[in-house]
Amino acid sequence: MKCAVDIEARDVEEMYINIDPIQAGGRLTADAMKAAISFGDGYSVCDNCRNPPRLDYIQKPPIAQFHADLATWLNMDTARVVPGARRGFQAVASTYVEKGDPVIVTSLAHYTEFMAIEAAGGIPREIPKDAKNHITPDAAAEKIEAVIREFSRTPPLLFVDHVDYQFGNVHDVAGIAKVAHQYDIPVLVNGAYTVGIMPVDGKALGADFVVGSGHKSMAAPAPSGVLATTKEHAGRVFRTTQAKGDVTGRTFGLKEIEMMGCTLMGVTVVGMMASFPRVRERVQHWETEVAHSQAVVDALLSIEGTKVLSDYPRQHSLTRIDTRESFDTVAQRHKKRGFFLSSDLKKRGITGVIPGSTKVWKFNTFGLTDKQIRHVGESFIEVARENGLNIV
Amino acid sequence: MSKRAVDAVFQALFILSDLRFLLRETAPQHDFDEAQKKRAATSLEKVKRQIAIIEEELVQ
Repeated sequence: MKCAVDIEARDVEEMYINIDPIQAGGRLTADAMKAAISFGDGYSVCDNCRNPPRLDYIQKPPIAQFHADLATWLNMDTARVVPGARRGFQAVASTYVEKGDPVIVTSLAHYTEFMAIEAAGGIPREIPKDAKNHITPDAAAEKIEAVIREFSRTPPLLFVDHVDYQFGNVHDVAGIAKVAHQYDIPVLVNGAYTVGIMPVDGKALGADFVVGSGHKSMAAPAPSGVLATTKEHAGRVFRTTQAKGDVTGRTFGLKEIEMMGCTLMGVTVVGMMASFPRVRERVQHWETEVAHSQAVVDALLSIEGTKVLSDYPRQHSLTRIDTRESFDTVAQRHKKRGFFLSSDLKKRGITGVIPGSTKVWKFNTFGLTDKQIRHVGESFIEVARENGLNIV
Repeated sequence: MSKRAVDAVFQALFILSDLRFLLRETAPQHDFDEAQKKRAATSLEKVKRQIAIIEEELVQ
């Protein structure tokens, strides 16, 4: 079935249980899908843009209120919607980082944090993870000291991932922020895997900036996200343009430089807004999501040889699993080689495991129903049993 | 201008979106329980009403 010339309609979410690690939290709500139908046209939210002509002032649809609600929800002072978390990183790095500045990230940081620093001319320096794949406040302190010794100046910014994309581990952001603040280093918390799926309190975390991803964790169309900050930093990161045309004498009012004036002008922002009531509600049920994650991990661990590389018991719905001594032993002798696992899962209506992966791989159970969780767990065990693996 | 027809087209799409999400919630078997069957039946009735309005406004 095609939705347009040469474009197949996508029915993955209707036909399968999708456990893709990056897609789970970004699946739209029904309301967001309806909003997408209604606001698909380009500048569709600009029908009622008045003075000042800026996205976060628009009253109808209630985008201005949405901005205020986002900040309150994250317990921060001010928020802007941005085209993805990466553009939030970029706005902050562009504001705070000068050419040649060292910037602290972690050894579990997302690549877009590196890109944002590089674009601003900064030099990334990573806090090492410990043996349990955690970033600790002590390691942060040691790295800050080392960087100060290396560069003879204090880094202007520290990025830390609330939950990292590699293991889905929850890190001691509050402890790390406390250390960074002792050196007057502002802290950007990457909440791409937390904002919208679990409770996030920016002030409690000690965040100077909280960045979230709409399409990863807020049930919103891509590219979308949020950048929230404190009163202390808002004036700087959301500074307005002072530019003036030398020929025309034009000025551009209250347009914010890092936002390039306006950011999300149609289906992205309205999709975020439409999902927001449900998103705000769903983070209250995080314990259920963690229990679901745990149930699937336990099913996998009942397959002899399987190991979980993420924290155990699980504290997040994203998990990294090691099946080198279970499913990968099947792959060595199976006619489909490593593709047998995704193929056998697909026959059972499950997708999202990278085809060919039988060694170390990730999955995300966020948003599945109890029944779907049972089906996923039972399916892994069935596939293992049918392929001669022991269930313990 | 038929505001009634336009509204009916949107309403029908929105109701079908609810049905789409019922398919998502119940993937992969789409084995509806009684409550889900009732939701589906209600949605289908509503869609039929909207389609009748569209026919009345635009075709008949």
